Amino acid sequence: MKKPIVLFALLVVLGVAFYAYKTYNKEHTNVAKTEAEVKLTASDLFNAFDNDETSAMTKYADKVIQVSGYIYSKDLGNELEPQLVLEGNGDNGFIRCGFKPTELEKLAILSDSLSVNIKGECKGLNAADELDLLADKDVVLSNCIIIE
Amino acid sequence: MKYTYIIFALTLLGIFGFKNHGSIYKSNTGNINFFSHTAVEDISADNHKVKTAFDANSGKIQFSALIKDFQFKKALMQEHFNENYMESTKFPKSTFSGTIVNIDAFNIEKNGTYTSPVSGKLTIKDVTKTVEALGTFIVKDGVINAKASFNVNPEDYNISIPKMVSEKISRDLKISVDVDYSHQH
Repeated sequence: MKKPIVLFALLVVLGVAFYAYKTYNKEHTNVAKTEAEVKLTASDLFNAFDNDETSAMTKYADKVIQVSGYIYSKDLGNELEPQLVLEGNGDNGFIRCGFKPTELEKLAILSDSLSVNIKGECKGLNAADELDLLADKDVVLSNCIIIE
Repeated sequence: MKYTYIIFALTLLGIFGFKNHGSIYKSNTGNINFFSHTAVEDISADNHKVKTAFDANSGKIQFSALIKDFQFKKALMQEHFNENYMESTKFPKSTFSGTIVNIDAFNIEKNGTYTSPVSGKLTIKDVTKTVEALGTFIVKDGVINAKASFNVNPEDYNISIPKMVSEKISRDLKISVDVDYSHQH
């Protein structure tokens, strides 16, 4: 009579342990396998943050989004996270896209001013108006991939 | 005679105009690591998109880093860091504004290694405190690599650590900075 109860208790304990283990070892978002929640142009994304950072944070931050735009420059110097810069707004508004080091070869062959589609996790606006040496503003995406 | 004055004035303008304009070194791909060591657990996170610049004339140096862009090995830790400790949607970035104290002793045009205290104001979660670190600057073929590290106590910046995880998070976090600056044209 006691056996089923013990068995049940054991199952519950195992279940809880498994759930705790899974939560603790939760994987990072896999950008390639995640559908973009929003698709928009680089300038629309930049302007959204530039006009109202607080509301843009709620709308886009921590989400996988897809951005289309023109390559302004390639910033491949940091081998830990090669980066592409898309035109956002004029001379000081950009979208900065960080890639895994494994993507370096793909980025190296892209030519400047090419139009690209990029999917990545939005991290917010890196701009510091109070710091005079840092006039550029970047909306930052991480773990990016290029959509063919 | 008049021409001599004009040439002299133009030369001065050229020298100072050029020097002022040409003294800014920048990077948008700076690295900042933070490291917490306790007997229970080591925690480390990296940001590779730190925006920073310094003025080789005045020694002024500035940094801006997005909190959400610190990458952890474990996704759960990253989530807790952002949501529970840093409240990164409300306080999206951290900045530093300070001075390279001994900048006058640097010859930035020549290859070499220089050290100087870097002192200034660090802002995390809208709390600003003075910090100082010893910076090492290595000039090599026009690129200046700068490294520095210093320690912060999270409790100084309104970061409260719940009792449950108290043993796992150091009160003496090590912040390490590593940047390759290049000349801004």
